[in-house]
Amino acid sequence: MKKWKIEGREFNSRLMIGSALYPSPEIMAQSIKASGSQIVTIALRRQSASSLKDGNSFWDIIRELGVTLLPNTAGCHTAKEAVTTAMMAREIFDVDWIKLEVIGNQYNLQPDPFELVKATKILIDEGFRVLPYMTDDLVLAQKLADLGCTTLMPWGSPIGSGRGLMNPYSLKSIRKQFPDLNLIVDAGIGKPSDAIKAMELGFDGVLLNSAVALAQEPVKMAEAFKYAIIAGRLGFEAGAMEKRDMASPSTPTVGTPFWHQFKK
Amino acid sequence: MKISVNGEIKEFNEESLTIDKILDILEYKTGIAVALNETFIIKTKYRDTVVKDGDRLDILSPIQGG
Repeated sequence: MKKWKIEGREFNSRLMIGSALYPSPEIMAQSIKASGSQIVTIALRRQSASSLKDGNSFWDIIRELGVTLLPNTAGCHTAKEAVTTAMMAREIFDVDWIKLEVIGNQYNLQPDPFELVKATKILIDEGFRVLPYMTDDLVLAQKLADLGCTTLMPWGSPIGSGRGLMNPYSLKSIRKQFPDLNLIVDAGIGKPSDAIKAMELGFDGVLLNSAVALAQEPVKMAEAFKYAIIAGRLGFEAGAMEKRDMASPSTPTVGTPFWHQFKK
Repeated sequence: MKISVNGEIKEFNEESLTIDKILDILEYKTGIAVALNETFIIKTKYRDTVVKDGDRLDILSPIQGG
C-alpha cells in the first residue's frame, strides 16, 4: 500500500489511535504497537505538582513508542478554551497540529460547529494545522475548508458509542464534495467492519480509541483494526463491482453437461 | 494574596509573584504548560508575568486522550 500524506507528514498506517481507557499502561503500549498506528492522540489536564513529582510515567511510555503525537482539545466547550489548550499543547508537545474538539452538547458530546469555526480561524491565523472534529455536515465542511483546513474529521457516531457509521450518506457527500482533502472518520467506530466501511467510502483514515481500549482483548482488537484499515483501503483503491439486480453465474456455462440443464 | 491554582485556592504571603516563583514554590518542574486567567503564557514569559490576588492559574501536563 502506498504511503499516506497528511498535513505535510508521511505515514504507512492510515489508522490513528487514542491513548485513553485501556485496562493498563502496558496494554495501551502493546495495543498501539499491534495496531501499527503511527499517530497517537493525547490530551492535557490539570495536574498537581505531587502527581508529577517522579515525572509523568504516561508520557514516558508514549514517548518510548516513537510515534507521532496528535494532541487534542478534549473537554473544551468554547473557542477560547480550545485555543488556549491548543497553544499549551503546541508548547509541550512541540507539534504544530491539533485535533480541535469543541463540545457543544453534554449528552452526545456533539461538536459545537459555531465555536469550532471560530477556534479554527484563530488557530490557523496562529500558524496551526487544524484537524477539526466535526459533525457530518456538508456546509460546516465547506466553512472549515474555506478557512484553510486540509483535513476534516467528521464523526461516525457519538464519541465512545461504538455505533459505527450513523449516516453513510452524509459521509459520502463530504467525500464527493471534497475529493482533495484528507478525510478521517473520527469517533463512533465500534467494530473492524465499521472501519472497513469508512475506508470503502474513500475516507483517507480512521481515528478510534474506545473500540480497541474497551474490547475484551484490546491487543487482538488493535491488530484486527490494523488489517481492517488495510482491507478497506485496498478495496476502495481496487474499485468494487457494480451491484446487479439479477444473478449472474460466475462459473462458465459453456460446456455444461446435459444433467445440469434446467427442466422445461 | 489568594489565587486559584488548578481550581484550588492557594494563599501566599506576597502581594504578587511571578509565574516562575509560583512554580518554584509549588515544586512544579518540567513537562507543564501554563495559562493565566484562561490565557496561555509562553514559557519565556514566566519570569516577567506577575500573578496577583484573585488570579486563576492553570498548570497542565500530558494525559491519555482519544
